[in-house]
Amino acid sequence: MRLLAIILLLLPLQASQAADLLVDISARLVKNEITEGRFRQEKNIKILKKPLISTGTFTYHRKQGVIWQTLSPVPSVLLVNQTRLLTTQGEQNLPPAFGRVFTAMFGGDLQLMNEGFAIAGANGQGAWQLQLQPKDPLMQKIITGMQLTGDKELKQLDIREANGNFTRITFEQITHPETLTPAQVVDFERLSSPR
Amino acid sequence: MNVYHPRVSACVWLIGMLLLGALGLKTLSRDWLETGFLALLPKIEQRPEIAEAIERHSQLINRKVIWLSGAASAEAAIANARKLERQMSDSGLFGKITLKISQDQAVNQYKQLFAYRYQLLDAKTRNLLETNPQALLDQNLEMLYSPVGQMQAAMLERDPLLLFGRTMNSQKPNNLNLEQGVVVLRDGQKVWALLLADLDNSQLPLEKLENLLQLTQNATAEIKKAGGELLVSGLPLFTAYGSESAKQEISTVGAGSSIGIILLFWFTFRSVRPLLLSATAIASGLVAALIISIWVFGKIHIITLVFGASLIGVVDDYAQHYLCDSFGERDWNPRKGLAAIFPALFLGLISNLLSYAGLGFSPFPGLQEVALFSAVGLFAAWLTVVLLFPMLLTGFQFAHEPALLKLAVIWERDWPAWVAKNRSWLAPTLLIVLASGIWKLTPRDDVRLLQSAPPALLQSAEKISQLLQVRDSQFFLVSGKDQKEWHRNEQQLLEKLETLVQNKALKSYEGLSRYWPDPEAQRNNYRLVKQKLFDSGLAERYMTNLGFDRAAVAAEAKAIIDAERNTLKLEDWLVMADEGKQSLWLGCAKDRCSGIVALSQIQDFAALTSLQQLPGVVWVDHVEELSSLFARYRIRASVLLFSAFALVLTGLCFKFGWRGAATVMAIPLVSALAALAMTGWFNQLFSLFNLFALLLVLGIGVDYAAFFFLAGERRLSTSLAVTLSGLTTLLSFGLLAVSSTEIVHAFGFTVAVGIITAMLTAPLIGTRAKAVSDQKYT
Repeated sequence: MRLLAIILLLLPLQASQAADLLVDISARLVKNEITEGRFRQEKNIKILKKPLISTGTFTYHRKQGVIWQTLSPVPSVLLVNQTRLLTTQGEQNLPPAFGRVFTAMFGGDLQLMNEGFAIAGANGQGAWQLQLQPKDPLMQKIITGMQLTGDKELKQLDIREANGNFTRITFEQITHPETLTPAQVVDFERLSSPR
Repeated sequence: MNVYHPRVSACVWLIGMLLLGALGLKTLSRDWLETGFLALLPKIEQRPEIAEAIERHSQLINRKVIWLSGAASAEAAIANARKLERQMSDSGLFGKITLKISQDQAVNQYKQLFAYRYQLLDAKTRNLLETNPQALLDQNLEMLYSPVGQMQAAMLERDPLLLFGRTMNSQKPNNLNLEQGVVVLRDGQKVWALLLADLDNSQLPLEKLENLLQLTQNATAEIKKAGGELLVSGLPLFTAYGSESAKQEISTVGAGSSIGIILLFWFTFRSVRPLLLSATAIASGLVAALIISIWVFGKIHIITLVFGASLIGVVDDYAQHYLCDSFGERDWNPRKGLAAIFPALFLGLISNLLSYAGLGFSPFPGLQEVALFSAVGLFAAWLTVVLLFPMLLTGFQFAHEPALLKLAVIWERDWPAWVAKNRSWLAPTLLIVLASGIWKLTPRDDVRLLQSAPPALLQSAEKISQLLQVRDSQFFLVSGKDQKEWHRNEQQLLEKLETLVQNKALKSYEGLSRYWPDPEAQRNNYRLVKQKLFDSGLAERYMTNLGFDRAAVAAEAKAIIDAERNTLKLEDWLVMADEGKQSLWLGCAKDRCSGIVALSQIQDFAALTSLQQLPGVVWVDHVEELSSLFARYRIRASVLLFSAFALVLTGLCFKFGWRGAATVMAIPLVSALAALAMTGWFNQLFSLFNLFALLLVLGIGVDYAAFFFLAGERRLSTSLAVTLSGLTTLLSFGLLAVSSTEIVHAFGFTVAVGIITAMLTAPLIGTRAKAVSDQKYT
């Protein structure tokens, strides 16, 4: 009985702790209309002998979404917002949580992730860390967890898959330009134009 | 009348009513009310295979209700949909409710079809392999190196070339996703969760429809309060709204005419007896109409009852004529009265029955029901007046001056006098008004006018068909002498449709051959993969570069060799397909195989209909078919109307001579023309149904005209009776014009204008005999 009471007491506490954590970390992040930088992505796929490594640039715009430009080894452009995913091959099926997480994490709108994920983490002196676990059992079958690491900026994203595959994306040379380049404007227009 | 035996005839009446009551006990205990919109439409005048295809195509949609619960987040949308799902299953209305999609079926399908991954290529992949196989592998790399490709990475182990994922992806629409096992679609900032329900059966009793409507309204309000939005669509809902408005109209028309009649009677006769007698005549008419109609048709439609309610104003005419005849005569008795009015009463009945019989010639089950219902109602009421009234009217006196008399006097004396004086300008004006009104008439033959739906539901349905790919009612029927020929024909059609989709002539199409290549195509697909990817060495290089070990490369090379003889039969494919895809296959009869190609959001009908020149392709548009049937029958009904006028004219010639017949016929003719002209002037709906309404105008017009023509010295009592019956008839048909169903509304409007005109013109007959009646009453 006592244990139950403690658990009951703890439950809302935990929830509010997670919410507080998100607020605190959000407060630390620089919030700008535009975020730009370079990325390095390393995918470790169980059955492949070597990791798949790609590098390129990314552009985040608060209202319009993300341009993910891979430069090596296969040059390609991927455009994503909350509802839509466009690749060089055209319109793609947007995995449910992906659009939300991808746009939320760059924008520092961590509270948005509360929807769909159980959140835990630590807000240390130097850096912060967040662990996200999908609530949806269907998604759990694919992704077991994600981890975000950062300070004033988001620095790293880890994705751990159920089948043992593991992806790490690191971000560097992050800047916050005032305006988009004409090429970026064109890309975003493509994303927001009707299907 | 030699056969005047009031007691005997009353007994006959009583026996008849008892027999009717016995029949009623049997028929009314069944489920006798039809509510579905489709029941109003004529049977499909089509070749049987097309009729069957239409049946199959609509079967899937007829019982389905589609709900989309929308909110700002998927969680909220799904939570609201869950709540709705619970309410729905509690209601017991639905046979099947689908919110959470079972993963088992998808997993099962995946497992079974996987063996055929080299055989089942979608059109895009096939194209790419033919033109640029390296590009296909580059696309794989792009996905694998992108931040999204988790699914692809996971599949890499079993399907290194990622061919099967392409096949599976091509089978489902792009904007649909599963979240928490629920189908979710995103539209701008809004997320919608999909909930599908099938009603228990296609028979929709009224109380179930009411429950459905109630459930929908409650859920919409509840979800709105929670900050969400609920969209709903589906034929059952349209039926529910239609029945609901029909029910309200029945009570409006029924109550309105009853109250009107009671008031008129009270002010005219100031006695309870005529009121009770009239009520008896009306009630026996309606009861007989209901019971006999159900007995004949098995079930009658709720719209028939709307028309039926308007009959109240017509069936009491006979009673009024009899009652009014007693007016002003000191030594009046029922026997003398009946003898005096029987010829006109009989003529009135015959002309009314004839005109309703004309309705019965239409191919529309709805109008046939209305015809029988009305004819039986009139006949029963007439019999009540002739058989029962003589006994019950014994000692009836009607000597006071009713308020209505003033009106009747103005109407039968002052009005014709005024007309006669002003005829020099009245006649040309009338002619111009009639001619220009008729000139303005533009027919509209749209079958959808039979259905009424509130704008909110239409908007909701429209939005749903934009979000989901809801099938339009038009489709292609594709056939061939065997599966092979059918497949070839359908492929040719789909190719053309793909171009039309690019040109925005429609949003999407769905045909089986898009998902299932026939054995020959499967062999070709296999050869294409083997040749372009394996024999060329591309696959091996791609796998090695990606980092597969040698064993994996060898295993894939063996897999393609082993798969050479695999052939997926259509029957096996269908077992695994979902209900929607299964419904596209119509099967093979002895010398033909056929399937449906479903379409959604058609924009350019001309472009699509031109495709029926392709071999084995038939364009099926049931709605258009019915609408053109409306148009054809409108022309047929015009002929019918002319012949009805000619027939009645001939009949009258025998009785009154050609001069008399022409006089009498002038009234219904002018009335019908006026009804048409006003329809034109007020820009009312003009369709087949107005013409049937004119048949009634013919009946009523002849009725009034004959009464005046035969009135002789009973002119005042006649005009009293005609005023009274005209007002009640006008009231009930005028009330039909409140209907929200356009066709019912137009019917009411036409009859109302016809009656007003008949009332205005009938007293112009026989004014030469006026001097006689003047002497009598002054």
